[in-house]
Amino acid sequence: MSTPAAGTAEPSGSAAVAAGPTATERLTSLMPVLALAVLVVALAAVDPDFLRRSSLMAVVDAAAPLAVLAAGATLVVLCGGIDLSIAALASLSSVLLALWLPGLDALAWPAVVAAAAVAGALQGAAHVFLRIPSFIVTLGGMSIFSSIALVVSGAATVPVDDDTSIRWGFTRVLGSVPSAAVVAVAVVAALALLVTLTPLDSAIKATGYSEAAARLAGVPVDLVKVGAFAVSGACAGLAAVLLVARTFSGGPTLADSLLLPAVAAIVVGGTAITGGHGGVWRTLVGALVVTLLRVGLSTVGVSAAYESILYGAIIVVAVALTLDRSKVLVVK
Amino acid sequence: MSVGAAGPLITLVVVVVVFAALAPQFRTPGNIANILDAAAVLAVVTCGTTFVLLLGSIDLSAAGVMAASSLTVALLVENTRNGADHGLLGIVVAVLLGAALGGLSGLLLVLLRVPSFMTTLGVSAVGLGIATLLFAGVQPGVVDAGLRGWATGRFLGFTHLTWIAAACVLVGWVVQRHTRLGRYAMAIGGGEEVLALSGVRVAPYKVAVFTMAGAFYGLGAVMVTSQLGSGVVQAGADYSFSAITAAVVGGTLLVGGRGGVLHSTVGVLLLTVLANGLVLVGVSPYVQGGVQGLIVVVAVAAAAAPLRHRNQVVK
Repeated sequence: MSTPAAGTAEPSGSAAVAAGPTATERLTSLMPVLALAVLVVALAAVDPDFLRRSSLMAVVDAAAPLAVLAAGATLVVLCGGIDLSIAALASLSSVLLALWLPGLDALAWPAVVAAAAVAGALQGAAHVFLRIPSFIVTLGGMSIFSSIALVVSGAATVPVDDDTSIRWGFTRVLGSVPSAAVVAVAVVAALALLVTLTPLDSAIKATGYSEAAARLAGVPVDLVKVGAFAVSGACAGLAAVLLVARTFSGGPTLADSLLLPAVAAIVVGGTAITGGHGGVWRTLVGALVVTLLRVGLSTVGVSAAYESILYGAIIVVAVALTLDRSKVLVVK
Repeated sequence: MSVGAAGPLITLVVVVVVFAALAPQFRTPGNIANILDAAAVLAVVTCGTTFVLLLGSIDLSAAGVMAASSLTVALLVENTRNGADHGLLGIVVAVLLGAALGGLSGLLLVLLRVPSFMTTLGVSAVGLGIATLLFAGVQPGVVDAGLRGWATGRFLGFTHLTWIAAACVLVGWVVQRHTRLGRYAMAIGGGEEVLALSGVRVAPYKVAVFTMAGAFYGLGAVMVTSQLGSGVVQAGADYSFSAITAAVVGGTLLVGGRGGVLHSTVGVLLLTVLANGLVLVGVSPYVQGGVQGLIVVVAVAAAAAPLRHRNQVVK
């Protein structure tokens, strides 16, 4: 991985690539965990009740759908792309799940996850084979998914009467642990294992690090990217299952507000938007940080309107901190 | 104009002819005025987005910027919520707020070296937050007769909004063709390194372009507020995406340095005619967004097709 990026004629670029991690870089990579620790301590100081088991469980429960949603998209970001369609795809999946539950019963949620994976893969294929930038494909996808969700739901919330087959998404296991949190950890662990136990890790990171070099080295770049988008889609579908399980309904805009927090979770976790550096575990930490910030704001008594400003600020700051500057010679 | 560049214009003519044949209501003079009226806000917003695209950057901030400007203008002109009655000054402040937010995107881009699609996504969230704060749970209705007249008053059969949009397109075209800012925006998109190596300080021009784009969004927000008769947080909801779609469909390429305000305006008309015509032939309005999504993907793919032989990395 220390091979300098092919085609970078800039002399200052290759020097930064060859050097190992510096002290600042090590600090930056620990930043998410530090931020999490600081937030927990600060919240405990403001509100001693926060450290009670029930409040902590409420936080991990709230962070779970966000973590699942962001975990899949992390793979796309690692490849150097971005998936802006995840929230809209999750909304569409929630509608499909609510519509399919009566007919398909226990098969409904696997069907929804599979459909979402196909939708993601289609976007990946459009990105790779039509050579369209990923943010445009997924911006288009966002619009298309929202539109389909509005049409099939008739622009109304679809209630779920019998949720037995997806009750596992919103219950308690081992006493008081929210099942959604277990699902989130399982998804992240599965993705992390899948990536590290196979050559995928280097394939994904090489693709994100220097696509042209990876291609010349024989990495199936196109396949890796389509796969990343498919996983991103599947995770959006699974996040929708968790959301439907807790709201007992699917809605055409149910998950739309999760796009910014999800992108924030990815970049706050320390995955570089330029690709090649980061990991799915980091996103789990990022999702907890984002959720704690939201909880923290309301604990301190700040109006919810500041939430949006906060997301905007942390996205820009986190991207600025994690950006791989040796790679972006010209920032567009 | 080469044959390739005339493509969008030819498509526009074909689409107009097809809808005129399919739907008798489409070819009435009233409907033509309706289409131009409906295109007005998007045309103004797209003017701003076009300059950012010429740089080779992207701007997703219109939604948030327009929300903040819409609430600002509604609260500064004569309204139902407070005693303010600043008239034209309120409109100017709203446009300036848009310019400030746009400038913020540009500054973050050049100072922190964060890619524009991330800075503008962040600034959009900030704008939405500002708008939600100003909204404070009570929708401010616009009472100011002057501002309301923008949407209702007519001159030579077209609403004032249509004329404002036409003026904006003209201003945009003049800036693009006859000012250093326009020339340099084009050149930055065409080859930023070359321009920087020839001794041009690129950063101030980038910030200026984002600032100008923000001002266009601010004016667009004032126009939406006039149409809706109140300040609304969702004022700009779909405009970021529609403006990019319109610009790309019109021939302003995402790679930068190609296209321009007039190209984009053809794109705006094409999208608006499609939206109007599809409703008149009986397609659900919910499908509109999906149609736009498909159009943008196809248009970008078509524009990228001639470049396919280059081993160019697409992120």
